[in-house]
Amino acid sequence: MKTRSKQLLPIAALTGLVVLSGCVTDPNSPGLEYMPDMYRSAAIEAYVDYGMDEYAFGWAEQAEQRLIQSARKPVKGSIAFQPDAKEFAMPYPYPNTPAGYEAAGRELTSPLATTKAHIEEGKAIYTQMCTQCHGEKGEGDGALSRNGHIQGIPSYSGKLKDLPVGNMYHTLTYGKGLMGSHASQLDQRDRWLVIEYIKVLQNGGELPEFDEAGNAVESASAEAGATAMND
Amino acid sequence: MQQAIFNGTRTARWAVQSFLAACLLLSNAAAFGQIWEGGNVENGQALFNANCASCHKVTNEVLAAPGLAGIRDRWTSGDELLVQWIQNPQAAAESGDPYIKSLVDRYVGTYGWMSAQAVSADDVKDIMAYVQNPPDVAAPAASAGTDCITVDELPVQNADNPSIWFLVLLVLFLVIALSAAGVNRTLRSAVNVSKGESPLPDATYFQRAKGWMWNNLVFVSLVGLFVVAYAVVIGYQGLMGIGVMEGYKPDQPIKFIHSVHVCENEVDCKYCHHSAYESKHAGIPSTNVCMNCHKAVKKGRRYGETEIGKIYAAIGFDPESGTYMNGAGEKGFTNPQDDFGGEPIRWNKVHNLPDHVFFSHQQHVVVGGLHCQNCHGDVQTYTVGRQARTEDINKLVDDYPGLIQLSKPTLTMGWCIECHNKAEVSLASSGYYEEMHERLRDDERGNEELRRYLEDDKITVKELGGWECAKCHY
Repeated sequence: MKTRSKQLLPIAALTGLVVLSGCVTDPNSPGLEYMPDMYRSAAIEAYVDYGMDEYAFGWAEQAEQRLIQSARKPVKGSIAFQPDAKEFAMPYPYPNTPAGYEAAGRELTSPLATTKAHIEEGKAIYTQMCTQCHGEKGEGDGALSRNGHIQGIPSYSGKLKDLPVGNMYHTLTYGKGLMGSHASQLDQRDRWLVIEYIKVLQNGGELPEFDEAGNAVESASAEAGATAMND
Repeated sequence: MQQAIFNGTRTARWAVQSFLAACLLLSNAAAFGQIWEGGNVENGQALFNANCASCHKVTNEVLAAPGLAGIRDRWTSGDELLVQWIQNPQAAAESGDPYIKSLVDRYVGTYGWMSAQAVSADDVKDIMAYVQNPPDVAAPAASAGTDCITVDELPVQNADNPSIWFLVLLVLFLVIALSAAGVNRTLRSAVNVSKGESPLPDATYFQRAKGWMWNNLVFVSLVGLFVVAYAVVIGYQGLMGIGVMEGYKPDQPIKFIHSVHVCENEVDCKYCHHSAYESKHAGIPSTNVCMNCHKAVKKGRRYGETEIGKIYAAIGFDPESGTYMNGAGEKGFTNPQDDFGGEPIRWNKVHNLPDHVFFSHQQHVVVGGLHCQNCHGDVQTYTVGRQARTEDINKLVDDYPGLIQLSKPTLTMGWCIECHNKAEVSLASSGYYEEMHERLRDDERGNEELRRYLEDDKITVKELGGWECAKCHY
């Protein structure tokens, strides 16, 4: 009997080892890397944890390294790269003040024409960037509103029916009330594209009539009317 | 007796009150303070939520404008001006009323003018009834998020590593077993001596183990074979696991929950990872993007204010006044201030390709039209980000049409080229590929060798050069 229990000892030890090796999975460890300096080279890449590469940097510099490439706002005054459209690369002239808001509403007009393609592009951006608050139809009934997190979001077809595009652009650029600035997420062209779709929502979701080239007929006549008045 | 007097005074007070109320009702003129009484709370709540709640709260809390608690005591300028102040603030400011002037001086510079509200004087009465006596603030709809599942839980902090404890117990067990065996042997030796027999020979553990092994040769050989086979398998698996990081889920500085943001509140992936459409990096949102919602959402359901407070500390937001701070610690700015020197939130990178691999999100998302889930799995059920496993992604094939089932571990080169071999290119997606297609078909310009690609009527990424070394390594 005693010899039998002694025989069991190495078996117990072996089973222990098998179980042990099975449960060593630490979610905090990326696992083995073949030549870590190829994974984490000296060239700056977003969010690469240089702190782990003691070969290239050493521990004294790693804390500083990690500070350098963490989330930062764009440098003040930097202009987003816009390869083929200089009208979208100009600095925004109106200041972030109540007076600037009013002035933008009075003076600012869209550099984009109202076309079918622009409205569709704008709708894609609207669906991704705006619906969680403003709702699919722009009635202020997005999920954040339904879940009680943000209330009183005005409806485009109701309270904001007559909001001029300049005010929309100003709000997208600087934010207004609870809404923050979306300038870091939407470049200038994106902002004007979204506004093209919001104009449709102001009209109760009804698309304007298009001619064969996809240009809105109404806006063309309205523009013609405006120029006639200016003359 | 006392009871009678008490009843008497109460009756008298009631009489006086009803008389006053009757007087107020009878007098048609805009009597002072009339707007604070007799409004319909329910209607007021509906009006408040529709028109005012995006900036004001009924408590002291500042959202994007001052909280309205105690407004009756503060407003001393009469009913008519209050209604006008709501209907057309700028016109009311021209009245020159000193209290309104103080409001304009104090708040318009920070929050801007209140937009004119299309409400009638009766509406204002209802709103004021609600503002003065708000019913208990309704909790967010209970149904919110019940359809949303979270597949993993965030790690509990300071959790002990169980394998270490197992090792300690194992060593302890070995020590006890060996000492017990030693005691056993000494006793047996003593028994032998007392019986007049010779004591057990003095042998080291090693010598005894060797003797035991010779006596149990078959058993020892079988165990030895098992140990060798086990070592080979483990060694092979270990070598194959080099550079495979499936399931990597590092702790993050903020206990972020993807399922709450994406599933419950329907925030699109692109809202935060917006540069996936424009750059090689999907990017982690900078704190100003967080603030677009968390200016209003100041308390999380699970972690209260601690986790959201980390965003505020990084960007310099003061949740009390609802404004941002500058470098000097002055509050009252509506936008984040550049000179605020907060420490950035140090997120840990989850998906890391070796430096010698070029990968662009834009090419895959915009041109290829892939869903985020094709490579990252069901992120809307995660807590913090993690590297998905191929078998988990393969399960999503019913939910995401066009998802390609693969066999190699994610983010390995085998996985990349396996997909490049299977993925078809939609020729309509870009004029570039349409042109390439035409050239292939054209007898004069086309290459005979390349034309075999068209035999199966499919154009895969590989056939358009997706297996060229220099596509990804240069």
